[in-house]
Amino acid sequence: MTDTTAVLGYAWPLVVSPGEAVRFHLSSATLDSAEATLLRVRCADPDPDGPGLRFDTPGTPLDGRVPLRHQPLRPGSCGLVADAPALWRGGSFSVGLFLWPTAPQAGPQGIVARWRDDTGQGWRLGLDAEGCLEFILGDGASPWRVTAPRPLLEREWVFIGAAYDADKGELRVFQESLDPQSGRNTTAGAVAPGPRAFVPPADVALVFAALALETGAAPLTTAHYDGKIDRPRLCAGALPLSRLRALAESLAPSVGDPDLIGAWDFSRGISTELIHDLSANRLDGWLRQNPARAMTGANWDGSTQQWTETPHLYGAIHFHSDDLHDAGWDVDLEFRIPADWRSGFYALRLRARPDSDDPVESFVAFFIRAPMGQARSKLAFVASTATFLAYANSALRLDQVHAESMLEGLIALSRDDVYLQEHRELGLSTYDTHSDGSGWCYSSAKRPVLNMRPRGASFNYGNDTHIIDWLEQIGQDHDIITDDDIDRHGAQLLGAYRCVVTGSHPEYFSRAMLDAFDAYQRNGGRHVYLGGNGFYWRIAWHPTMPHAMEIRRGMLGLRTWEGEAGENSLSYSGEPSGLWRANGRPPQRLVGVGFDAQVFTRSYPYRWLEGARDKRLGWMVEGLDLDAPLGDFGLRGGGAAGLEVDRVDATLGSAPDMVWVATADRLDYGGVPTLEELRTLHRGAMGDQNARVRADIAFTPTARGGAVFSTGSIAWACALSHNDYDNSVARLTGNVIRRFLDERPFDGF
Amino acid sequence: MLVNDPEAAHWPVDPARLELVEEFRRAPRGPHSDALQKLLHRMRWSGVGKRHVLVVLEPNRRWMLARLPGKRGLPVETFPNRVFTSLAEAEWAVFVLRWEALTGVPLQDEKPSP
Repeated sequence: MTDTTAVLGYAWPLVVSPGEAVRFHLSSATLDSAEATLLRVRCADPDPDGPGLRFDTPGTPLDGRVPLRHQPLRPGSCGLVADAPALWRGGSFSVGLFLWPTAPQAGPQGIVARWRDDTGQGWRLGLDAEGCLEFILGDGASPWRVTAPRPLLEREWVFIGAAYDADKGELRVFQESLDPQSGRNTTAGAVAPGPRAFVPPADVALVFAALALETGAAPLTTAHYDGKIDRPRLCAGALPLSRLRALAESLAPSVGDPDLIGAWDFSRGISTELIHDLSANRLDGWLRQNPARAMTGANWDGSTQQWTETPHLYGAIHFHSDDLHDAGWDVDLEFRIPADWRSGFYALRLRARPDSDDPVESFVAFFIRAPMGQARSKLAFVASTATFLAYANSALRLDQVHAESMLEGLIALSRDDVYLQEHRELGLSTYDTHSDGSGWCYSSAKRPVLNMRPRGASFNYGNDTHIIDWLEQIGQDHDIITDDDIDRHGAQLLGAYRCVVTGSHPEYFSRAMLDAFDAYQRNGGRHVYLGGNGFYWRIAWHPTMPHAMEIRRGMLGLRTWEGEAGENSLSYSGEPSGLWRANGRPPQRLVGVGFDAQVFTRSYPYRWLEGARDKRLGWMVEGLDLDAPLGDFGLRGGGAAGLEVDRVDATLGSAPDMVWVATADRLDYGGVPTLEELRTLHRGAMGDQNARVRADIAFTPTARGGAVFSTGSIAWACALSHNDYDNSVARLTGNVIRRFLDERPFDGF
Repeated sequence: MLVNDPEAAHWPVDPARLELVEEFRRAPRGPHSDALQKLLHRMRWSGVGKRHVLVVLEPNRRWMLARLPGKRGLPVETFPNRVFTSLAEAEWAVFVLRWEALTGVPLQDEKPSP
């Protein structure tokens, strides 16, 4: 059994140009060295029934022994405000905020604190092990503590506060439920003795949603909080609850109030990592590990769904104790890509213990782009980096109870999955829920990603490399371009190519990416879509942080978690998220077909339709038997139509000039329609009774001699290598790509 | 927050319906009759007796029986003595475990169909 996790790492940047440097950040808890080799990936799927792992080894100075060390991962998001004179004043003070805890029973959590946990000095307001609010002052010797008598309820808004009264020598804590009825009222308060004098410690950051373990502006943190914090206020003096709550209710507390130390408005700078203080002290801060922004505040009333319209209703940040955006590991290796290298899927292979029963073979993936303006081929294959990130470290099969039913059989875990089950500090995918049950809406490449590398899960990196393997096999030169760059550069990047191929599952698209393909097609570009469930979810890339994407699942679509009401717009861009179908651009409008069903029982062949005999498409079916099934073979379920499939539908945007070439519409009971395909429920919706559950192949001519060819199935790519690459799926794909690279217009359209 | 409740699986399993056992033994990977589909859904949705899974020892060639711990961060429990060389064999082995967990009745013939 091959150990794929004894050494892990990530490459930064994830996508590099020839001439640029890529750096590898590595860690091993058990090995002190490994044998490194830089590879160009041809096939990343180890399945012995297929091509198997196939690499080119260019030979680099990097190849050889690399020393390793352990670099820990420190998940958990928080807000940090560097120490400042306004925070130094001694004497009475008060702190208050709206709180929506999502895991109050999960253990002690810091909510707002100026505290160093290494010495026990400072003050902190947080939750104790029982989920009760607790306010502590410490001088390093004996802490003074006051604890609320009733625990907080999960996912219920409450206003909380604490005051230190130096004159009376008292600590006070209080909580006020915003919906105090029907068993939801936890309103309570408590008073306990405190010191007559208290001097806060020096050089300690103010921390939201965690506790600092040390001094300094960027301390290590612990006791991370799960849940929302909205409109925190910090004031001089021991204020009564009513006064503190009024300060928090006010969206614009008086800046001139000399007792107002800090009043943070998290609705400002939602697309950034900065937090803003409204007070005269300018105690602005920053966020670590990318907590969720554009979250509804305690004042959200349903009058809008879109944070950009009423940002003042979106003053909450949802922190998660397992957020991980940036592993922050030091660099172990650096390599400058030679200027003459081909673009491609690349990886650093790390091997150790070669002769043992448990040899180590782990990979760190990266991509070398064909830079804009430097196309070397007429054909480009798109590395679906947005989709790879959306799936990064998916624990769906570990955590979601529906997974085995959905996948129609026993779950087979790889060594990576077994590792991920124990090591949640890697950060999960946008298919998963955080430990508090809320959905992961962000994903970043600045951390090890187990399923975006050779030997990783077949969805989607592995499946896509079957297309690269086939292109290499037939000797078809090609460039690799990435979703990241299509988002950044748009149609001009695609415009350099006569033909652009998208892979097995290009599911996640930003508006700029969709616009780029639309403009490319309208300008005579030829687009070959060799996959299923593409162009489905609307995402955003972060405006400044590379290789970070966001999805809000909303309440429609095949979603593994459901977004909260009002929280389905993208914090990175301000745009609505959810399905492109719900955003007026169903996939059918772009590529003729759109996602309609899953089928995991097995995969199926297509049958040719009348469109395949269209004289104008003779070039497409050359050498193919139109009376024989198309693709009754393949590595995924024994057919070319399977896993996730797309269908033609004129009402959703398939074009009048489109030619419907083939269909697989007998998907039996395993064909399960996606939720948005059903208006109302009835028992006849599955594939054994419903011909709308199907995979379709379609050709659509576009303006200026352009065209789109779509296969509508994820399983397609994994049928290309069947019978030593001599098969109907490979022949049809080859016919299309050859013709699409030929600049002559399509006769008859 | 929408959650998926494994306890919601409530199709009643009748220990007397050994013809479903036989049908599964003959064709663990399907296709299956309506009643067997329901039985399998009952087993798979709830993951009765903690969810049994496989750990891949060799891609598409050898698998080991294992069980999920039901809690994040805990290790996967493995059964190194139970190694399968086909998925059909593995499906049958887990079916036998789940049948007993659901009905209280062990299956006599624990060999999969050749």
